[in-house]
Amino acid sequence: MGEIQRSGSGIQRSQSSRSSSRKPKKSQIPYAVAVFAAIAAVGIILSTVSAQLSIFWFTGSIFGFILQRSRFCFTASMRDPALTGSTTVTRSVLIAFAITSIGFWAIKYGAFLRGMPIPGQGYVVPVSFATVIGAFMFGIGMVIAGGCASGTLMRVGEGFTMQALSLIFFIIGSLWGAHDFGWWKLNVISEGKEVFLPDVFGWGWALVLQLLLIGCLFVLADKWENRKKES
Amino acid sequence: MAEYELDCMGEACPIPLVKAEKKLAELNVGDILIVQIDHSCAMKNVPEWARKEGHNVEIDEVDDGEWEVVIEKMH
Repeated sequence: MGEIQRSGSGIQRSQSSRSSSRKPKKSQIPYAVAVFAAIAAVGIILSTVSAQLSIFWFTGSIFGFILQRSRFCFTASMRDPALTGSTTVTRSVLIAFAITSIGFWAIKYGAFLRGMPIPGQGYVVPVSFATVIGAFMFGIGMVIAGGCASGTLMRVGEGFTMQALSLIFFIIGSLWGAHDFGWWKLNVISEGKEVFLPDVFGWGWALVLQLLLIGCLFVLADKWENRKKES
Repeated sequence: MAEYELDCMGEACPIPLVKAEKKLAELNVGDILIVQIDHSCAMKNVPEWARKEGHNVEIDEVDDGEWEVVIEKMH
């Protein structure tokens, strides 16, 4: 067939462009074993200092691995529906929210049943228009930077140099934010109202309503994906 | 049946997709667009978009962390 070759899915492509870019690949398995051993070693060393530190280390490593392999991306979940009409990532984020909702509900309700202080209540913070404005600004920033906080960290780890730059400014921005946070909290954020759904609806309804809302968003996302193309 | 290469090395997530979208619109039916990327996220959303649009897509990992998305314009 000369310089044209036919490949699996039937795309014909000239041999020259294909072979020129092909380099022999080195096996990465030794690196994988070395990294795995290093993670385990650091975890063991940390556990001698504090058990909690080594738990953070392991959950962080596992979280990063899953994030990288699944190409899970909060940015794409918000951006792709507008850019390409694809809601695959949006729906997987919604599923993740549903699962974590059930998990957090179980932890909190379990503590409540046993009369223990409910963990994580410090994260129940006031909501107001400040939340909406902040979320909107964060959304613009993460689309320009090509990733949210976790996504940026994951891609820096992959060796994507452009986002190392994002990381530097992400750190500068975070430090600046932390520096002024007291003022914002006092003057803006505390104007809002703290809402803890189980206090408003009761434990059962709080979970049902939250899952129902996520379910509605899932159906909407599915409809958006399969909508008729306006041409 | 022409072949075009689109260099998107070092470009973060939505940019390869937008570039590919614009370039593909200029091509004739049957032409082939080779999008070169090194961003793992674009490796997912460029093929997904092109398949959804009904084009033939093939992914080639040319080097560790470098891919070529081969798109054949079908319509």
